Amino acid sequence: MAVLPELGLVRSGDLDDVLAAVDYDHAPFAGGTELVPAMELGLRRPAAIVDLKRVEALKGIEVDAEAGTVTIGAAVTHRRLSDHAGVREHLPTLAAAASRVGNARVRSTGTVGGNLCFAEPRSDLGCVLLALGATAEVRSAHGARTLGIDELIVGAFETSLEPDEILATVTVPFEPPGMSYWKLQSYERPTLGVALVVTEDRWEITVGAATERPTRIVLAAGDTAGLADFVGGLEFSDDMTGPPDYKRSVLRAYLQRTLGAEL
Amino acid sequence: MTAPAPTSTVVRCRINGRDVEMLVPVRLTVAELLRDRLGLTGTKVSCEMQVCGVCTVLVDGNPVSSCATLACDLDGTEVLTVEGLARGRNLHPVQEAFMDANALQCGFCTPGFIMMAVALLDAHPDADQAEVREWMDGNLCRCTGYAPIETAVTVAASRMDAQ
Repeated sequence: MAVLPELGLVRSGDLDDVLAAVDYDHAPFAGGTELVPAMELGLRRPAAIVDLKRVEALKGIEVDAEAGTVTIGAAVTHRRLSDHAGVREHLPTLAAAASRVGNARVRSTGTVGGNLCFAEPRSDLGCVLLALGATAEVRSAHGARTLGIDELIVGAFETSLEPDEILATVTVPFEPPGMSYWKLQSYERPTLGVALVVTEDRWEITVGAATERPTRIVLAAGDTAGLADFVGGLEFSDDMTGPPDYKRSVLRAYLQRTLGAEL
Repeated sequence: MTAPAPTSTVVRCRINGRDVEMLVPVRLTVAELLRDRLGLTGTKVSCEMQVCGVCTVLVDGNPVSSCATLACDLDGTEVLTVEGLARGRNLHPVQEAFMDANALQCGFCTPGFIMMAVALLDAHPDADQAEVREWMDGNLCRCTGYAPIETAVTVAASRMDAQ
């Protein structure tokens, strides 16, 4: 059994204490579903972990009917997200995706913030949140900034967070009509995920899991040439879930079937 | 934060109905706490990557991977392991159903499957086949195959419903 090296613990219910503590050697810690295995494998060796789970400001789910948004704390677990009545009502595709993340144990402890900040490419939430036009509020002891999901996740396992910053909340506009999310998955992580928002005049397509980070394009409905260019131009990952050509074929077949486009 | 962060912390929790208060190293996993310090070796450890499910225990009713959960996170919680299911000589209905359906062979994965089934049936007593598969698909068995396990969970659900 892997034995972790000595590890310190910073624990406070006060967001300011947490922000004062976080840096490269003091890793933000919530569910631990990514961080603990990374530490066990020796990929990450912080001197201490900074527990975010006692900070109320990081655990809320707030529905703002006037603004038409739901704000989700970074330390909200997948299970709480998928079970929340307001999320199910206003963000049903996100709720459904969260209910299928990883396995039932990962959903108990794994959090929205951990999922996004680990930036594992084979993820559902990044793709769905990018498709929804969500924004991320990032905090540090020195201030706050707001980023789009594509500004937060900049590559495979890579975010634009500074070592002293944490993701605090994600604000998500209510789901538009015509939205769907489909994924191909054989193991515990998806091989390919596709979020679509299809209206009479627009095709909004977001592809996740099969590329280093989620990628979104907006086309006029019926623009099959633009769609073919998009599918042809994506740089698919070559990993244990399959080679790039396979992923491109699956995506092409799915889009042909779903959009009725001949590619 | 000038002083170095403490490397151990006091955990107060309830494990299988018994109150526990221990000073634990922050680096200790729940599986290590249960197996090495409390002698509760019914919980097994295999992949240590949250994939195989043999280490499943319930924390406040939620299934978690004890191999990848730190013991410091148990503070204030109620923990249930496979040792906590039986009442004296009376097995839990899920344990009975696993025996009756021959849902085990070598038995190494069984505690994890049983705890996952208990979590499922506590949360969704009338789980349908799709829900059973959705919850159990994070547990791996390398000898029995999954059909008898699915049968056992379905049988347990109907017996618990009748009680």
